[in-house]
Amino acid sequence: MTQSEPIFRLEGVTRRYDDLTALDGIDFVAEDNSYIALLGPSGSGKTCLLRVIAGFEKPDEGRIWFQGRDITDLPAHERGIGFVFQNFALFPHLTIFENVAFGLRNGAVKVAEKDITERVTSAIEMVGLTGLEDRSPDQISGGQKQRVALARSLVLQPRLVLLDEPLGALDANLRNRMQIELRAIRERLDVTFLHVTGSETEALAMGDHVAVLDQGQIVQYGTPDAIYDSPAISDVALFLNRFNLFDGRLSGGTFEGPFGSIPVADARPNNSDVYAIRYDRTRIFDKDAVDLPGPALPVRYLASEYLGSSIVFLFETEDHKTVEVDHHLSLGEPRDLTVGENYTLSWDPAQAIVFGKETAR
Amino acid sequence: MSAATSNRDKSNTFRLLAPGVVWMILFLVAPIMMILYVSFWTQTTFAINSTLTLDSWRNFFGSEAYVGALWTTIRLWLIVLSLTLLIGYPAALFVGLLVKSKTLSTILLVLCVIPFWTSFLIRVLAWRPMLGKEGAINIILQKIGLIDSPIEVLLFSELSVIIGMTQIYVVFMVGPIAFMLGRIDRNIIEAARDLGAGFGRIFWKIILPLSLPGVVVGAIFVSVMVLGEFATSGALSGRKVNLLGNIIVTQVGSLKWAMASVVGVILTILLGIVVAGFLRIVDLKREI
Repeated sequence: MTQSEPIFRLEGVTRRYDDLTALDGIDFVAEDNSYIALLGPSGSGKTCLLRVIAGFEKPDEGRIWFQGRDITDLPAHERGIGFVFQNFALFPHLTIFENVAFGLRNGAVKVAEKDITERVTSAIEMVGLTGLEDRSPDQISGGQKQRVALARSLVLQPRLVLLDEPLGALDANLRNRMQIELRAIRERLDVTFLHVTGSETEALAMGDHVAVLDQGQIVQYGTPDAIYDSPAISDVALFLNRFNLFDGRLSGGTFEGPFGSIPVADARPNNSDVYAIRYDRTRIFDKDAVDLPGPALPVRYLASEYLGSSIVFLFETEDHKTVEVDHHLSLGEPRDLTVGENYTLSWDPAQAIVFGKETAR
Repeated sequence: MSAATSNRDKSNTFRLLAPGVVWMILFLVAPIMMILYVSFWTQTTFAINSTLTLDSWRNFFGSEAYVGALWTTIRLWLIVLSLTLLIGYPAALFVGLLVKSKTLSTILLVLCVIPFWTSFLIRVLAWRPMLGKEGAINIILQKIGLIDSPIEVLLFSELSVIIGMTQIYVVFMVGPIAFMLGRIDRNIIEAARDLGAGFGRIFWKIILPLSLPGVVVGAIFVSVMVLGEFATSGALSGRKVNLLGNIIVTQVGSLKWAMASVVGVILTILLGIVVAGFLRIVDLKREI
């Protein structure tokens, strides 16, 4: 992939509230013309980061560069960065048309009335709301409000649009449809979207790149498959919600966990010893099975959840930790399990990821 | 919906409405009709009888003093209304929008209300030692050498009435406006900033229109109270400023019920026009 000119760059951006550090020296470079998903649990500082980039808040330290210009001290209304709010923040007293036209009418650059009508009409058409121009925001649905909010930002032709959990207020069906549409709209306009979300599925599905934010720091940045396949630290694996994580102790190339001691080839540096195996790589065996592919984890079967293309089985270990197994139905019918019975879980140790304080051999 | 349930709904509606309707008829509609009726009665020096006549009405419009009082009332109302808006809006803007902490803004609103812990009359009379010839303001201005002799126009003039009324009623303007401003979603203001609007633009295009219902409610409060005023003008004008309210008081005091009724009817009509006018500015039903 060719590296294009960065659209924006963060240098050691730090933001503190009293004794809470929301952003802790963030360095980040975003490629132009891409869809970047910013994934983080609530409280990780992701909304704060967006607000700092938009200019609603000032960083305590660090610089922000946008299109090669230092904008750290520029007020929000002079930055030319689009922002789509989670609650859409439409102007309740203006029609849809006037909402979209707001930036053209009230911005620093004077736009002729004829151009306003033309640009607003085409922006409304782009988000598929033609015919609703004269409605007021309380007369349209959540998904339509989302589109108005988007059109309102895009009509100003920004190079960068920040989206703060834009799908959070929509129901599941609409969310899926808007995911596809957001991507399509972005590709048509050659603009960079920075999309903040707390949903790992959303981040992995939408981002060309995903940045994982944890405790005010970007702990991993990469393509969705790179992040999915090889989380950098155990916390990333935890947010992805795709891994069974076991605490234990790593020493001398051996990991000691609830499944006994197993040799470990290599480990990633982490602040605790954690053994991770993906839900869909974990397999179910009888209690006394002998031909296991790897370590044996004794568990009790709790319940299953049918997801259409796969079934998720929930188990409980002896120390009452829930373990999930994701069985994709294309791999054949799942076995029948009896609730409350004991089984053994196992996996190919080569597919596990081990995080350790001491980086093993 | 079946006819039976629709009938039951209807009878329920009437039952729920009845107490309110009865109350309003007894204590609002009937008295107003009575005032209107009495305004056409015949008044002699010491008695009044129910022979219908237009004399009182002719008297009112024929007298320079009475018509003058009508204009004074309207003039003072407009001045006080403008002043309360001019002083109240920025204060409300500060309390309702610029103060970020909800606790602090509540404290500030409570501070606005503190003067109400004493009675209305005390608050009016408290202006006398402030504004008098040897009052606080004159003494201070003389002490710091800004003036040589006391400003006499401060007390017992139209100015003192305006100062008093503005101070007393400004809080009724601040309250509703601060309430409406407090309801504005901060994201909306940030969205406007993000779309390139500076503070002035945001104020005129977003904040002012969204707070307009508060302005209208505040203006109605202030108007209703100022138009019916008699105590402030009585206490602070030294009888130089006569409002419609003062005339009613004097007429009732001398048992001139017919003339008092005429003024009452005129005041009611004036209030009706003013309130209806304000309600045309915004659709309050939609906003609140």
